Order: sequence, then C-alpha cells, then structure tokens
Amino acid sequence: MVRIRQWGWGLGIATVTAVTAFSVASWQANATPSAPPSTPAAAGGQARVSDPSPVPEAATGTGNDPLTTGEVDKARAIALTPQLAAEAQDVTGKAGPEYLAAELDVDGSRQAELYYYDYKTEKLFKQVVDLKTGKLAKSYSATGMQPPASPQEAKAALELLVADPAGAELKEAYRKATGKTLTGTDGIEPIAHIYTAKPADKGASQCGKSRCVQLIAKTADGHFINVTGVVVDLSGRTVAHLK
Amino acid sequence: MTYRMFTGAAAALITSAALAVTVPVAAHAAPAAATPCGAQAMVKETLPNGTTWQMCWRINDKAGLVLSNVFVSTKRYPEPVQVLDSIRLAQLNVPYDNGDTEYNDLTAIGMGGYGLETLTGDDCKGGSIRRGSDGGGQPEQRDVLCVSAENRGLAYRLHEEEWDDEKDEPKDTIYSQQGHDLVLRTVSRLGWYEYVTEYRLHDDGQISARLGATGDLAPTEYSVANNGWPIGKGAKDYATMHYHNAFWRVDFNIAGKGGEKVEQYDTATDGRGTMTAKLKTTKTAIAKEGTFSRVNQRWWRLVSPTSKNLDGHDRSYEVVTTGGDRYEGHPETKPDITFSQKNPCEKWASDNASDPECPLDIQTVVDFVKDKEKLSDPIAWVRVGFHHVPRDEDQSPMPMHWQGFELVPRDFTEMNPLTPDGRSGVNGNQYPDE
Repeated sequence: MVRIRQWGWGLGIATVTAVTAFSVASWQANATPSAPPSTPAAAGGQARVSDPSPVPEAATGTGNDPLTTGEVDKARAIALTPQLAAEAQDVTGKAGPEYLAAELDVDGSRQAELYYYDYKTEKLFKQVVDLKTGKLAKSYSATGMQPPASPQEAKAALELLVADPAGAELKEAYRKATGKTLTGTDGIEPIAHIYTAKPADKGASQCGKSRCVQLIAKTADGHFINVTGVVVDLSGRTVAHLK
Repeated sequence: MTYRMFTGAAAALITSAALAVTVPVAAHAAPAAATPCGAQAMVKETLPNGTTWQMCWRINDKAGLVLSNVFVSTKRYPEPVQVLDSIRLAQLNVPYDNGDTEYNDLTAIGMGGYGLETLTGDDCKGGSIRRGSDGGGQPEQRDVLCVSAENRGLAYRLHEEEWDDEKDEPKDTIYSQQGHDLVLRTVSRLGWYEYVTEYRLHDDGQISARLGATGDLAPTEYSVANNGWPIGKGAKDYATMHYHNAFWRVDFNIAGKGGEKVEQYDTATDGRGTMTAKLKTTKTAIAKEGTFSRVNQRWWRLVSPTSKNLDGHDRSYEVVTTGGDRYEGHPETKPDITFSQKNPCEKWASDNASDPECPLDIQTVVDFVKDKEKLSDPIAWVRVGFHHVPRDEDQSPMPMHWQGFELVPRDFTEMNPLTPDGRSGVNGNQYPDE
C-alpha cells in the first residue's frame, strides 16, 4: 500500500511504504470526511455574545464581586470611628477625615479597604472592614502616601487656584477658550492629579509629605485647560509655581 | 519581597474556601467552572468554534478593569481549566520629552471611578454593554464594560491531499476556519486623553492585553523642534513628544494549581549544519525574583509544576512581548518584564506606596525584586512603552494607537484546541518508524 500525504503549507511530501496497524486505523477513522464541518456562525455572519438585561444592584456581593453601594455605605459607617471623626480634618478644614476610596481586599475573605486622608496629621488611613462580621478588622496610617484626589479635593484646589494670583494663567486661558471672563469657579469642572515632588523638582518640594495636586480645567463647552507649572498644596492651602 | 505576612499555603486555603462558598452561583452553568463571583460580575461566552471563556470582572478605582478567575474550555477539551488568577493594568506613566510634565495615570488620577466613561454611541457596536460598579469611592452602577465577539481572521488552513484506496484516486480536503475573539473593553477619560483597556480572549486560548489611546493631544503641551512636532499651520506649534509607559500585572493560576515556574529560553547560533546555520536553544530557570529584558530570540514562559496536558507535558503560557519603546528616564521603565514573588503590598509598577499597611520605600518593580526572593508564586509585570511623536493626523480626535502583549498557550492542551475531527489523529510524529 502506498500513501501519499502532502501538507498544504509546503512541508513537503512524505511517502510511506509501511504504516503500523494503529496508524492505519486512526487514519481511516479520521480522514474520511471530505467536507469538514464548519460551525454556522463562523461560516456566516457576525458572532454574537449574550446580552443580559441589567438587573438592580444586589445589596451585598460575593467572592470577587465589586463592593456594592450598600456594602460601601455600611463599611464607611464602621470605618469612621468616633476618634477619627473627632480628631481628623478634611480638605475644607471640617472635622472628620477626607474620604478617598473603597477597594475590595482581594487576598482574603470579603473585606472592604477604605482610604481616608487626615489633613491635620498629613496621614493616610486605611480602615479594613470585615463585611461579614461588620467590624473594623484592621486600621493603619502613614505619612507620605498620596492616593488620587476625591472630587471634593479637586473642587477645593480649583477654588484655591482661582483665588490666588497664580490663577491668572487659568483665567487668561479660560478667556481665550470661551471668550468669557471667569468669575469664581462656575463653568469649570476640575480634574486633579496628585503631584509628588521629585528630587530635581523646584518650587513645591513639600509635596508628597503635603497633599498637592495639579489641575486640568474642563470648561462647560468641553475645552480642556491644562494649568501647567502650578501646583496647589491642599495641606498648606497655598499655590506654588514649579519653575 | 516579603514584608506582609501572607503565606502561599494560607492564600491557597482561602481561595479554595472562596470557591467552595460560591459554587452554587456558578452551578447553573454547565460545564461548571467554579467562579467566585455573582452572575452580574461574570462574563461567560461561547465563541462560534465552541471555545468558552469564563471570568469575573470588576472596576478598581486606580487600575480600571480587572479580570479574575479566568477559565477556558473548548469543544475538544470541554473541562474548564483555569488560566489566570487575575490580570489588570499596573501603571500608566506618561512623561513628556521636555522634562516638565509627567503623569502617573493610575496612581495619581485613576482609571476607575469618575475617570471611567459610560459607554455609548459606537463604543460597543455589535457587542453587549454590561452594567456594573464604576469602582468609585461612592460607587455608581453604570454601563461601563463592553463584551463582544469579534472575527480574528483565519484561525488555520490546511490543504490535505491523500490517496483514496477504495476509489483509487487522490482526495482533497481543505480545512479552513475563521477564528474569533471574546473582547472585553472599558474606556477611561483622564483629561483630554482617553484610554481603552482591552482584553482579547482568542478561541485558541491566546490572550491579548492592550491599551489604546485616543481623545486629543494635550492642549498646552508645546515645545521645540527637538522634542516636539509641528502640528497646525506652518512650523510654529510643536506638540510635545511623550511616552506612554504601560505596565500590566499578570497573575497566572494554571489549572488552579498555582506555583508556576518561570523559564527563559534563548536561542543562539551554534556552528553550521550541512546546509545552514545550526541554532541551539537553552533554558534558564528563573528561580529568584528579577527584572529581565528581551534580546533577539529570547522568550519567557510560566509553567505549572503539577498540571499536565494529555501528552504528559507541563501546561504553560508563554509571555510574548516586545517591550515596545523603552523609556530610559526611569530605572523601572527599562526592563521588559519583572518576575516578583506575589505580595499584597506590591500593587503598582511605579508610585507603588499608597497603602499605609505597607512600607513607604517599595516604590517600583525594581524595589519589588531587590532582595531576589525565591519565586514560588510568581507575578509577571509586563511593561510595554509607546513613544508618541505627534503628527498632523492626531487632530482630531486622535486616531487610536495601541500597545500591548500576548499570553500564548504552550502545551496547555496536547493539540490545537480547534483541531477539526479530520485531524484529531495527528498528534506527534506520524511516521515514527522512518
């Protein structure tokens, strides 16, 4: 028996004069269909995925589910201890820490990690709440750590900038972009990104220990104004030029 | 590095406990891969070739889209097998070439929360928009994830010719098959830039991770000819060149066993054969933490120490990455890949110190591996850079530019998981007696 096999990609022709019984069997069992089946969706139109209707958010999550609104609310009530509420200060100077973020602790049972900033001590707090027991499981704090700003911090930074002589750059850019004069902070949506001083940076070396941001301003009609070279120190409530 | 007490054994126990607890959630699904999340956070889709991907998704305020508990099964191998514990972005560092501006988009602004866009328009055309938490401090339920199945072109082609003994004539069979990807994507808007976080899960087991950038160029970033490019009329306004240094954190959990070994392979010329150069490929076991970079003919894989395919070969995934453009301005943006021992304090590839439970001086991937700890539960930190030299076409909106890498199965199954029935006997040397 002579079999001729050729692979379409040009590996060449192998001529076989003797084949083991096993090979023959597997060969004949598998080589017979002349038109290999092809799935209908692949042959024809666009492949589809399921499209489930949105369902109301569950009260609680399971496993790796994102923290639910209910879980975050519950965790915040537990995380904000009477001591923290009384002794810490938020970005506006009011009693109680600045609430920043809630994250799911991925490495254990279902726990919420809540992050707060205390402007009085310049400390970042991490409060770990066990969602099952409803208890504050762990609490940590440290200086020199600056996670992203809250919407309230972005707003406070914009107010500080507009009230400062350094805000002239923003006002001028606003006038150019919109043809209008900026009064107050209405008509601007601030986007804040945390600024941390690097060794070579000049002008705002306290940033990092202090909580500082740089601002991008978005006007009501969608223009972006990048306020370069200016840093707002939310801790010191000052505005600094970088150069 | 070790600085927070989490033993591998404890983590494994917790994982199996979580799986056990959540089995009922996934129990409707057949075949069932126990997935520790509820139905709303799960994506489970079967592509036309019969491949099913299943995973949990959520939004982290800094990282944006996080995929976890990623399982794959195929028509040929219907038992779901875990590939990844999780995958997510780990940093997006954007320094401008004039040296005056730099952003760490994950850790100083955040891809989730208010940075995450609600999908609309053509964002998810042909796909399914999934609603879920945006990961913000005050989480909102929004339409944030796009799930779609997309053609990826020809998955394979084979023109088979054989001799039909009965009819005594040649017989042609053409195996030609379109492939598909299950695609998950979110959009984050950080100022004028918009970023697309995308994972493409191919029907042959490959996973492509990539980041797309669009939106607009920075409105006030203009400089000079040697670090900007003139856009607009004449040569007046030089839009500043800049880097997008993206990092991903990849945590494998092959077949749910974990503890992958890391291997590096290098190929070098080794004399000559009778016709052409002889090449020699050598394996280097990476037993300890470290940073690594590509040279020609080098690649890495993560190998399960216990899980084997039906051929008896260790299951593994290869990390296929070029590193893209390498930014020389930071130590942590130079290596292409870093393998570190899993540690909950190591979250961000740079600007890492944002957790009061953790040390302040563990800032970058370079710090993660400084003490060269033994790797028993490796994390791969994959860096891919893109040096953006603006061009006139970047206005406006900016055409999407992409950067990313691939995870490619190597011996995960003993054959091509898409092998058609007619080729199912073709495994290994077909003519061992020759």
